[in-house]
Amino acid sequence: MNSRKRILTSLFFICAISSCKEVLEPEPIDLLVDDIVLNEIKDVPNVEIGLYNAFRVITPATVIAGDFTADMLIHNGTFTQYREFSTKQITSANASVATLWGSIYNTIYIANFIIERLPLVPGLKSAERDRVLATAYFLRGYAYFIGYYTFGPIPQVLTTSIETNRNIPRATDEEMLQRILDDYTFAIGKLPTDPVNAGFAGEYAVRAAVARFYLYTGNWAQAEAFATDVIDSDNYSLVPKFSDLVTKDFTPEAIFEAGYSIADDPGTDGNVGLNNLFLGRREIIPSNQAIVSLASSESGDRFSSITFDINNLVGNDNGWSVAKYGTADEDNNNVMVFRLAEMYLIRAEARAQQQNTTGVNSAQEDINTLRQRANAPTVGSLSQNQMLTVIEEERKYELAFEGHRWYDLVRTGRIGSVMPAFSANWKTTFERWPIPQREIQNNPALAGQQNPGY
Amino acid sequence: MRRFLLFLFLVSHSVLKAQTIPVSGTVSSEEEPNGFPGVNVVVKGTSQGAITDLNGGFSIEAPQGTTLVFSFVGYKTQEVVIAGPETLKVRLEQEAEELSEVVVVGYSSVERRDITGSVTSVKASDFQDMSLSGIDQALQGQAPGVQVTQSSGTPGGGISVRIRGVTSIGAGNTPLWIIDGVQVETGTLSLRSFGGQNDNALSLLNPGDIESIQILKDASAKALYGSRASNGVVVVTTKRGKKGQGKIVFDVQRGIVDPTHKLDLLNSKQLLELQREAIRNAGKNPDGFGLMSGVTDAVNTDWQDEVFRRGIMQQYQLSASGGDDNTNYYISANYRNEEGIQLNNSFQRMGAVVNLDQKFTQKLTVSSNFNITRTLNKRVKGDNFLDGVYSGAVKSLPYYAPFDENGFLVGPGSSEYAAFPNFNPVAQALLPRFDAITAKLVGALSATYKFDEHFNLKGQVSVDYNDVTEDQYESSQTAIGGYLENVGGQGYGVFIASTATNVNTFVTLSYANTFAKKHSLNAFIGSEILQSFGINGNVEGRLFPSDDFTYITSAGIVDNGSSGKGQSGLTSFLAEAKYDYDDRILATASFRTDGSSNFGPNKRFGYFPAASVAWRISSEDFFHVRAVNDLKVRASFGFTGNERIGAFGFLGTWGSTTYNGNSGVSPNNVANPDLKWEVTRETNVGVDIGLLEGRIQASVDAYYNKTFDLLLQHPYASTTGFTGVQDNIGEMENKGIELAISTINMDGKLKWSTDFNISKNSNRVLFLADSVPLYRGYTAEGSDGTNIIKEGEPMGTFIGLNFLGVDPATGDAMYQDTNADGIINNSDAIVIGNAQPDFIGGLTNRFSYNRFDLSVFFQFSVGNKILNLAKATFVNTGADILNNQSVDALRRWQKPGDITDVPRYEFENTFNNFHSNRLLEDGSYVRLKSVSLGYYLPANIASKLMLQNLRVYCSGTNLWTYTKYSGADPEVSTLDGSVSAQGIDFFTLPQVRTLSVGINATLR
Repeated sequence: MNSRKRILTSLFFICAISSCKEVLEPEPIDLLVDDIVLNEIKDVPNVEIGLYNAFRVITPATVIAGDFTADMLIHNGTFTQYREFSTKQITSANASVATLWGSIYNTIYIANFIIERLPLVPGLKSAERDRVLATAYFLRGYAYFIGYYTFGPIPQVLTTSIETNRNIPRATDEEMLQRILDDYTFAIGKLPTDPVNAGFAGEYAVRAAVARFYLYTGNWAQAEAFATDVIDSDNYSLVPKFSDLVTKDFTPEAIFEAGYSIADDPGTDGNVGLNNLFLGRREIIPSNQAIVSLASSESGDRFSSITFDINNLVGNDNGWSVAKYGTADEDNNNVMVFRLAEMYLIRAEARAQQQNTTGVNSAQEDINTLRQRANAPTVGSLSQNQMLTVIEEERKYELAFEGHRWYDLVRTGRIGSVMPAFSANWKTTFERWPIPQREIQNNPALAGQQNPGY
Repeated sequence: MRRFLLFLFLVSHSVLKAQTIPVSGTVSSEEEPNGFPGVNVVVKGTSQGAITDLNGGFSIEAPQGTTLVFSFVGYKTQEVVIAGPETLKVRLEQEAEELSEVVVVGYSSVERRDITGSVTSVKASDFQDMSLSGIDQALQGQAPGVQVTQSSGTPGGGISVRIRGVTSIGAGNTPLWIIDGVQVETGTLSLRSFGGQNDNALSLLNPGDIESIQILKDASAKALYGSRASNGVVVVTTKRGKKGQGKIVFDVQRGIVDPTHKLDLLNSKQLLELQREAIRNAGKNPDGFGLMSGVTDAVNTDWQDEVFRRGIMQQYQLSASGGDDNTNYYISANYRNEEGIQLNNSFQRMGAVVNLDQKFTQKLTVSSNFNITRTLNKRVKGDNFLDGVYSGAVKSLPYYAPFDENGFLVGPGSSEYAAFPNFNPVAQALLPRFDAITAKLVGALSATYKFDEHFNLKGQVSVDYNDVTEDQYESSQTAIGGYLENVGGQGYGVFIASTATNVNTFVTLSYANTFAKKHSLNAFIGSEILQSFGINGNVEGRLFPSDDFTYITSAGIVDNGSSGKGQSGLTSFLAEAKYDYDDRILATASFRTDGSSNFGPNKRFGYFPAASVAWRISSEDFFHVRAVNDLKVRASFGFTGNERIGAFGFLGTWGSTTYNGNSGVSPNNVANPDLKWEVTRETNVGVDIGLLEGRIQASVDAYYNKTFDLLLQHPYASTTGFTGVQDNIGEMENKGIELAISTINMDGKLKWSTDFNISKNSNRVLFLADSVPLYRGYTAEGSDGTNIIKEGEPMGTFIGLNFLGVDPATGDAMYQDTNADGIINNSDAIVIGNAQPDFIGGLTNRFSYNRFDLSVFFQFSVGNKILNLAKATFVNTGADILNNQSVDALRRWQKPGDITDVPRYEFENTFNNFHSNRLLEDGSYVRLKSVSLGYYLPANIASKLMLQNLRVYCSGTNLWTYTKYSGADPEVSTLDGSVSAQGIDFFTLPQVRTLSVGINATLR
């Protein structure tokens, strides 16, 4: 009997063990569950940082798009994705293409999350709410801007609904442009004119973005007006020494830059950081054309955008490196989004397009502002066409490796004249990047919607 | 028992009064009918004894009435009471045949002949002379349905074990390893990637301490492991003391280690000619690239010779075991040091085992297992790393030399340094310090309480604790520490510490009874809790003052560090009943329910029932086939699961992030509250047959396993803001057939036995959500990946363009334009082959003659394809001029009319090097995996050395291979452990050939 009691006790014990709750419900470690991410005032800055974190991945991928799709960079390493850009054999499987596309929509997701949830956070002051919403709209607008000019019209995602966004077609050109402008317009007047530093968007970052938008859409008067707004704000000044722009973050000239430190750069383009691509691995180096151009007297001090090391001069390697993305021990690898010099260039081009090429408040004056800073010869009186050519070259000197060249050549229509001379493999197909293969595979509404030629 | 003790008492009592008398005689056995030499003859209770001579004869003085004990390893000990002076004739019988062997199959044990499921045993003697770095290696070729692939020749490196194919895509395919009832860690422990080749937690366990291994393959055998059982269960039993005189065994093995194969690459002159041609073909001037004949090729280095060495392998083990009626002990200590074939690469292990059993009362027995091991793994980088040693050596340009004219290693800063992407692999081997120090502790305490003859209560508490410390420094003369400018050129140090702990508790209450002499029932219920904890941290430093300072304390900048923790748990209830009707019908039913913390409240619990039945036809009255001693048919059906996904996959979560010096949160994971177990439905039928009095034993099994609800990242379009969600989105099947035959071919003076096994497994993905294929493996030009997971195709499927040969007119590659759109691109990629073999198996022949024994073990794999991805670099058709080329490049197209399979070389033209089946090869092989020849020294010599037994042997592994594969070794997998992209050769270190000699001594 005693034995039987013990057997029963052990039976009970066995059953008790198998229903142990602590074992099955451990607390999540270093994670927040969806529902509590954005409920209180103290959650707001955290999610805002999350938005910037997603946004900044767009910027190095834009450098790859702007400089590498065009004629500024060549491949010097082993990664297939970069070889494709160098040899102009870009495919829809390219990892950099997928990185840019993904970063655009990651940014849009968090922006939409904020737009949906922020109004529900109790106790948030309206000014603060407007500021954070403006940041979300502005960065979403910027993401669509880059997306549109890289891929053509892309799906317009305006909610966080996964079901909707898994099956969403391309928008039209008109819808894209309207969306970008609407998002930017919402943000105007709601952001501080002097953010903590240029790593965060302020009022003039939005105005600079609008200036660039009007430049791209050919609305010259508005482009000039918004560029002038920024230039005349007195918040920014051209740094006297161009090389400071190459080696330093947060110069007085910076309107908005994507903040990177070496420690928190986990890899920005297909998991490889620009610092590593340009400096560590030297996977990508300046093209001979870019070197010649930057070494010209018109370029002047902008030559400091690249450096030379004789030890690297082996085989196909021309020995030159891009210098704009940091050194080993200095925290200076931010990626520039908007800076004052670009505003001068936008205004110069807008003025030239409006036949205002020479004289006071003309394109010539804007160009010479930059030439003088670079200790380069100033330009004299030029025809409109000559001036536009000068501006194209000037943008190349000034904005080299900041992600502009390809976008400029495509929007001005000059790409068909410039690129075939650079690469025999060039095709008009490459005026747009392909939609990543996996997006077409996973989004039924994109079936058959690939850009032509890919 | 009591009667026996009384008898002993009486016997020993009588010793006191006895006079010694001479006793002589001969010992024989069935195998040694004319005299059995070397048998140990001892007067019971004394140390007095003798050893039989070559004719089996002995003579000894012993008191009348005492007992003589005759013993020999592998034979039943016999006792003879001396009645008076006489000539004894003693016949020894071999120890228990396999038929009555008791095997441990999980929570209970069973007589082998009564097994109703599919279980394969591997005994210590099957692998005793092989030089093995880990216990998983011991399974290779030994068991049907078990595919073991060593990923490379790296000592202590990764080994993939797949039982009956691949059942999962995303939740792991490693079998569950249970050692003496303790679930132990498998897979990699190190937290830093070394380019593809991982370390291996199972190499922390010494194969020399293993008694036997049972591989549980079908549902009925493994369903008791429920949610962890889908991939099969390997139950390892370590050695324990046995009742009887204690013995001390000493094993020594020493040998040399060499690569199985060296690649044929170009020399400087050949390469220079090739590169100049490639540049000229691109319309450029080779002189402008500094490629000058007579200058560039003045140096000619064979980099493989520079980084390879002959390694020394040495291994020692000392064990003591024994026991009496109440206590058994097994104590062992071991040391192994294996130098890899790459410079500076070695794996050292030292460990100790203490296994004790103590019977406290007739009712209570307590046992403990204790295993502590420390390894020092001196690692080198490989495979996918440009700065790897072997991977660097085979790619490095022969124009460069490892040492300068003063004999110093060439490093960054020297004009003789090749730099990116060739980083002087000799320096990469010699200079960095990549020490992984691993400590493992497996401790278990179990107690069995016998209530009465029917009820037994057993409980076990155990811990498997793994601790890894990675101590790393890459000097300023290495690629990372010196060349990479963003690291700073002044050294790079990393320190990583992590622990992984499994704590396991189970209790079972069992019941055994026989009714009416014919119905016997064995049943138990039990419960189990398993908790896993992981915690880790790392820190990185750079800008060291000089290479004399190599620890992070001295670093100028410490700007990277992290720490983390993980935890998961499982609670379970289990029950099993076994019924045996008159030794004719055997039936087993089992059930387990698991609750796992990896799943949300909706789907937290999984239920895993199984049942099996066997009919022993040979026990039926109507069965009268004399040649057949045992004939049993079996069938089983049941469900098993797989829960091995990361924790909290069911929650929508945000993790921490940083931007511009601020910290915040960003989305991590999409919620999926319905995330649930992978379930495999398994059906197995089998026949066991014993013929000619056990001289032929065979088992045939056929199975069909279907896995539902595959755990996998369900890909989302990025427009959702996510790339996918962890989901149950697929189905997969494995079906196969297995055959194992053991025969005793000759058992006279010459003994010859054979074990043969062969198995075939067919795997197929049946269903994927949205039917969207998944791309895996490496990225490649011309396809979306090297591998695809696609409905209707097996795992490990390769895709690529279809290479149609080289156009004799232009020398360009021709590819099939599958979609006929006039463009050759990714969308033309098709399935080009599969890494899974059609057949695998092994063949062991054992011979013994007199004192000699010989074992010859072949292992084979037929029909598997290898993607020789290294060829995209070795025969790169001029895509770059940064890598050495294979001698295959000498066959390249050079002028119109050339008929060849190697396209024209043109600098920077990648079209000819698009990813295609040009890189795919047949990976079938037959390999003489091991041979060992042993010799037992005559007993009189052994006894002069105070030894009971002395065996010397020599053995070799990977001695000979037949294959058509052109790479370094057909047994290869750069993505160690991958199931979707297995069988890829990407500069993977070839397997090693080991030649060794050993001594195995038993002290009396």
